[in-house]
Amino acid sequence: MSMELYQEYADALDMLDDDMRFEYIIDLGKTANEVPFPEDFMRDENLMHGCMSRVWIIHTVNDGKHNFIGESDAVIVKGLVSMMTKSFSGLTSEELAGITLDHVRKLNLGALTTQRQVGMMAMLKHMQKLAAV
Amino acid sequence: MTSNLAYDVQKIRADFPILSREVYGKPLVFLDSAASAQKPRQVISAMVDVMENDYANVHRGAHYLSQVATDHFESAREKVARFINATEDEVIFTRGGTESMNLVASCFGQAHLKGGDQVVTSVMEHHANIVPWQMLEGSKGIEVLFVPVDERGVLDMAAFEALLGPKVKLVSLAHVSNVLGTVNPVEDIIALAHSKGIPVMLDGCQGITHGSVDVKALDVDFYVFSGHKLYGPSGIGVLYGKKGLLNSMPPYQGGGDMIETVTLEGTTFKEAPHRFEAGTPAIVEAIGLGAAIDYVSEVGMDAIAAHETLLLEQAMAKLSAIEGMQLIGTAPNKVSVLSFNVEGIHPLDIATVLDRQGVAVRVGQHCAEPLIKAMGYEATVRASFGMYNTLEEVDKLVAGVEKAKKMFGA
Ligand SMILES: Cc1ncc(COP(=O)(O)O)c(C=O)c1O
Repeated sequence: MSMELYQEYADALDMLDDDMRFEYIIDLGKTANEVPFPEDFMRDENLMHGCMSRVWIIHTVNDGKHNFIGESDAVIVKGLVSMMTKSFSGLTSEELAGITLDHVRKLNLGALTTQRQVGMMAMLKHMQKLAAV
Repeated sequence: MTSNLAYDVQKIRADFPILSREVYGKPLVFLDSAASAQKPRQVISAMVDVMENDYANVHRGAHYLSQVATDHFESAREKVARFINATEDEVIFTRGGTESMNLVASCFGQAHLKGGDQVVTSVMEHHANIVPWQMLEGSKGIEVLFVPVDERGVLDMAAFEALLGPKVKLVSLAHVSNVLGTVNPVEDIIALAHSKGIPVMLDGCQGITHGSVDVKALDVDFYVFSGHKLYGPSGIGVLYGKKGLLNSMPPYQGGGDMIETVTLEGTTFKEAPHRFEAGTPAIVEAIGLGAAIDYVSEVGMDAIAAHETLLLEQAMAKLSAIEGMQLIGTAPNKVSVLSFNVEGIHPLDIATVLDRQGVAVRVGQHCAEPLIKAMGYEATVRASFGMYNTLEEVDKLVAGVEKAKKMFGA
């Protein structure tokens, strides 16, 4: 399975200290707009509930592969959701179902703020639910 | 700005063990006391002490320990009563403010509300003072009316008066807003409602912590608060109610400790407070709350309030100097609960940067979604100052917000 982006993120984060990880996520959030999230998808039905900021995730299937794009109105959360959606796009149902909370833990963002790590786990579950895997 | 020399904040801080810890390698700056305050050693030791030495179930055993535990528990009730100038039989222990308000909605509702009756609350309320009434709309067909707030976060008193029609059977309003810090004109509210024969409940979850409260002087019918915001433990709260009113209401739950006699034909209930305290209560937590009340009383509620006002004024002055700062809640009568946003930056981003600096604030809608929407926002950052916060900590808050501004380039 192609998890190159995930591996890239994991490697990059691994080399950084906590403060730099924090800035890395903010940079991801600031640059995530390279592929703009379609404005008219910011509808309530694409909203992920239970977050302190608004998070939208949309899901498409192409050739049996699941793709996600995400958006948030908070920069830090946008960095995280963009990392999550890019990391786990392009996977088959089986591969996506095999992604576990360990994958999230390995990104080493727990020390960033524990709340964000919980949020990312919720994002993963939400993506798996959207893909119905 | 001069500091209050008589108020020894460093001595107070030394009583709160948690304040000396670090987060992310930085000293903790705890500005979230409106959600839940930290506990002084005096509270912690009172709770440990009762569990180590004097613990047994209350009101039950003929044995020595049960007597001792009952004495401690009932003396905690006495402390609460003295603290708000009530009598002990008007003080009901609950799990917290939320349960206290649900108890009133349920029991006052059963005794005194029928379809078509109205309850007046406001846009400013915590969900705990909205949802129980909405549930009665569903189950009993009552109607809930909301007093609006203006752009400063002040209750519209003319609208309030206009709402007080003949169908209104209860007014239930916050003493102090948990989002804006607005202190409502509760004397006027109570006088107006009483002039029409309508009883008043005050949600004092924030009011009790920022000044002294005298339920007799207020002539309020119900007053509600939580232990954990008053430097006591969670799991314990208070419902004050006028005796006659309490005894006009049926019990909340059925069980042990609340009955006079139980026969297979039926049951007669004890009077308040026991009628409303079915089952084994939160014994240790009640004793902890008693210790918290001793602690704040010793420092003095007025001294605490004066210190907090100093912090609030400094925070408002320094924060409002930041470009793009939106202070949310600028009522003339306001306590040290400070909501704000910075234009162009999401409150969660600000709060996360603050968190990384060790500064704990709350972010979101603060269980008051209608209010946040009415003020024109999706969410806010909320800093709340307690008896142990310092002017240096206000400066760290301000520095953290400035740092967030730099990081997010707004
Ligand atoms: C004004 C107000 N009312 C009610 C509550 C609910 O209190 P608790 O969660 O302790 O039951 C709170 C606390 O968040 C509050 O601030």
